[in-house]
Amino acid sequence: MKLNRRLFTTLAASALVAGLAAPSMAADLAEIEAAGTVKIGMLVDFPPFGIQDMSGNPDGYDADVAKALADYMGVTAQIVPVTGPNRIPYLLSGQVDVLVASLGITEERAQKVDFSRPYAGISIAVYGDNGLEVTDKAGLSGQSISVARASTQDSGVTAVAPEGTDIRRFDDDATAVQALLSGQVKLIGASNVVMSQIAAAMGDRFDKKFDLSSQVQGIAVAPGSDALLVKINGFVEQAKSDGALDKIHEKWLGEPLPDFVKTAQ
Amino acid sequence: MYNFSFQPVFENLDLLLYGAWLTIRMSLIAMVLGLIVSLLGAVAKTSGIRPLRWVMDVYVEVIRNTPFLVQIFFIFFGLPAIGISMSPNTAAIVALVVNVGAYGTEIIRAGIESIPGGQIEAGRALGLSPVQIFRYVVMKPALRNIYPSLTSQFIYLMLTSSVVSVISANDLASAGADLNARTFASFEIYLMLTIMYFLLALGFSTLFAAIRRSFFTYPASR
Repeated sequence: MKLNRRLFTTLAASALVAGLAAPSMAADLAEIEAAGTVKIGMLVDFPPFGIQDMSGNPDGYDADVAKALADYMGVTAQIVPVTGPNRIPYLLSGQVDVLVASLGITEERAQKVDFSRPYAGISIAVYGDNGLEVTDKAGLSGQSISVARASTQDSGVTAVAPEGTDIRRFDDDATAVQALLSGQVKLIGASNVVMSQIAAAMGDRFDKKFDLSSQVQGIAVAPGSDALLVKINGFVEQAKSDGALDKIHEKWLGEPLPDFVKTAQ
Repeated sequence: MYNFSFQPVFENLDLLLYGAWLTIRMSLIAMVLGLIVSLLGAVAKTSGIRPLRWVMDVYVEVIRNTPFLVQIFFIFFGLPAIGISMSPNTAAIVALVVNVGAYGTEIIRAGIESIPGGQIEAGRALGLSPVQIFRYVVMKPALRNIYPSLTSQFIYLMLTSSVVSVISANDLASAGADLNARTFASFEIYLMLTIMYFLLALGFSTLFAAIRRSFFTYPASR
């Protein structure tokens, strides 16, 4: 009897969670235009793409792109801060209409979300103490390496790491970098962007060991949001050709949009 | 509509079950070590030795008035600066022991102080040795009194251990997070984690109830 009651409680709790999760859907362009606001998810812990300014408002490359996108659509942008691990669930559950969240375009993600043409790019590599002799993926064996969980560098490192690599997954890049700085790991899988900031703070204590990949990032929408995606692609193409993206890239990363982003399809 | 698909969960159930085992092991180690710290802490706090009491006061107050997340970050990322570097799993256990030790110290101290002085005098009058008095007249009734608070603190410790993945330690929550990173079946995975944590807590409650029946029945059989 007692067990039955427990079972019932468990089932009731599951039903509640399922009920909350169920109303999730593709974003509809007409609805967004009628509402006059588009909910855009972006990272705020991924400088310089997503940061918070002095007054706590989202800022950075993604924020500027998000605002330009909303302008192009003729609506106001309502920016919703998301994190690396939860950004896709936010999109799929309809809590945001669009992700301008430095989401690297990968095949496994493309099965879950629909990507626009690339609007930004990052190259990813393994970095570490400059005394350390690691020149290729085989050198990872026996080493500890930190990555941000569920990030592109996580899949990149996991894919090439040989047996005996100690991959430590942290919640975000900041914590993964902290692990490197405090000496808890010897290597890190990180982007050129993150490492340029570390170099600014720490000088040449760390250097690049080998390249993993260069990655283009897309604006993402939930599957089935086709009209919205067409609109977004129109925005990306225009912003690439009229130099708007170059300008934003120059502002945040000190150089125009890299060629591998411009030419990628 | 979001399409529910429990396939990724069931296909990787071994991963989650291994994670659950890691959580059980980590929690059990932290509970046993935490109990030892709590007992020693409570004895130190109720002893007449002033400096010892002050040290324990500082320890208990600092730990009970700071978030666990900050404590575990400090142990894993802060201590290497002074040359103390631990693996993530060790650091997680140390942080859990330090944390539960402070709460346990207060709980057991309350239990010890709930023993009326007359009871100890009665023990002396019966000619019991100080060790016997401490063990049978003070500690056992004290633990019996605070047993529910102590065990719920231990269950809370098991649930708290779900944040150790922030320092890349491995447990049930990190197994779920890794699986989520691969499959993006978030709702299904976290629903499964909810059920598994619930069952773990239920299991620990049952274990504690069994221990209570065999060690703390009253009146004492011997």
